Amino acid sequence: MLTMQEGVMALSKAEQCVELARLVGIPLMEGEVAEVAERFESLMRELERLTQLDLTHIQPVLVFPEEEA
Amino acid sequence: MTRHDIPWLSAAETAVAIKMKQVSPVEVVQAYLARIERFDGQLHAYITVMRDEALAAARQAEQTMLRGGDLGPLFGVPVAVKDQFWTRGILTTNGSRVYRDFVPDADATVITRLQQAGTILLGKLNLSELAMGGTQEPPWGIPRNPWDLERTPGESSSGSGVALAAHLCAASVGEDTGGSGRGPASYCSVVGLRPTFTRVSRYGMTPMCWYLDTAAPMTGTVQDCALILGAIAGYDPRDPFTSRRPVPDYTARFGRDLQGIRIGLLRELDDDAGMHPEVKQAIHNAVEVLRQQGAEVREVSMPLVALAGAIFVGVADTEGAGARDDILRTRAAELDRASRTRLQAAALVPAKVYNRALKARVLLRQQFLEALRHVDVLVSATAPAPPPKHTALTAPFVDADDVRSRFFFRRAYTGCYALTALPAISIPCGFTTDNLPIGLQLGVRPFAEELLLGVAHAYEQATPWHTRRAPGIAGEC
Repeated sequence: MLTMQEGVMALSKAEQCVELARLVGIPLMEGEVAEVAERFESLMRELERLTQLDLTHIQPVLVFPEEEA
Repeated sequence: MTRHDIPWLSAAETAVAIKMKQVSPVEVVQAYLARIERFDGQLHAYITVMRDEALAAARQAEQTMLRGGDLGPLFGVPVAVKDQFWTRGILTTNGSRVYRDFVPDADATVITRLQQAGTILLGKLNLSELAMGGTQEPPWGIPRNPWDLERTPGESSSGSGVALAAHLCAASVGEDTGGSGRGPASYCSVVGLRPTFTRVSRYGMTPMCWYLDTAAPMTGTVQDCALILGAIAGYDPRDPFTSRRPVPDYTARFGRDLQGIRIGLLRELDDDAGMHPEVKQAIHNAVEVLRQQGAEVREVSMPLVALAGAIFVGVADTEGAGARDDILRTRAAELDRASRTRLQAAALVPAKVYNRALKARVLLRQQFLEALRHVDVLVSATAPAPPPKHTALTAPFVDADDVRSRFFFRRAYTGCYALTALPAISIPCGFTTDNLPIGLQLGVRPFAEELLLGVAHAYEQATPWHTRRAPGIAGEC
């Protein structure tokens, strides 16, 4: 029997996107799943580059405080 | 002065001509409406032309003149805005079929303030869908770049760039999330400003990205840009993020040389191997012009700029998907295919990855603020290449590197200022041998728009680029 992680790993890229989309409640259109999967993969690959940064002590900020100006 | 001369005046010159009674507000509006009628069927700058409303406002302005009083530096000036700003009783499409019937019951604060300054609203301008960029089949036509109709005018404030380059309005307000104002300004050889994030109210500006969107003055000259910013800036209780700082006179530094101003050429963008050689040369020429005016020029390195494109899409696309959650759940079929698949992909990004991008954004801001302790103004190209052909934007991606160069890294040029919430401006700085516009980007510390516009004005006045007219649209109407 597969663990959940092994089960996810066994899915194709497109199947993973369909499952993720189902979990976040966004229906994908028939015939566009492969395109969404390609876009998602390239997006994640680009964002993977941020793992090289040491962000340990950084607090995320949405609107920067005016005092910094 | 004849009716045919009017559209070639700057906004400031138009207001002076009205004040001096050389032309009337009605004559001015009629002159622009005639050009819109003649050229916009081809250019697709406008989604809605407010002919009757503009003429009525012009007649009202004439009554105001009869009563006397201070008319202000933008009185009677015909403006047009990106169709992302709510206009009470007037269709506001956001460039999307989803909003094809949306008629707001309130004006955006930007609209209210433009009216209070005495401007006359000519209409609502085309944009890529939901101010995102990349729309393959724009519902209101493909906006054409007046410098070459086969090329893009830039995104997403496309109509603003087109209308200004073709003199179909005297001034405009677009919107800038990550370069949506400065990009079209660069591609269309006009001026586009991204103010400090909290400087201009966003009330009534349909959001693309909650924490990056700013209203963006777009104009034919730097002086006009300063006047528009002065009109729309300032605290607004309907936008809790707006700053309570007083609004200065943004023309205060005009006429001064650049003695004592420290200019930093941004190395990571200047060293971009993908930069068009004529763009690089134009930027270096511009730096020399600044030096000749007394500025001290040095190189500045901010290594994180190389990752700014990745940080930008991590923040902007993910927030954009969040801001469109209702549409993605219930009306996705009405979106353009490119918008839909891009938003759907972004909606799947894990929170952990989004948070990493937010943290990297803070680090990038720290690098910018540190650099701006050592220089006053940062300089780079606005875009690494002149405007591409429309067909190049919709061509399939070849591989991951192609995706990166076309979709991600180019966003670093303008996206780094959006991420760091700093003001930046794009001004014309030359043309390629194919007569395609090149834009120079200047950036400064928060709330230093007065300095930014002063340096931009000094450069503009020393160069001829803002006086050149796009081919094919110079005819009388």
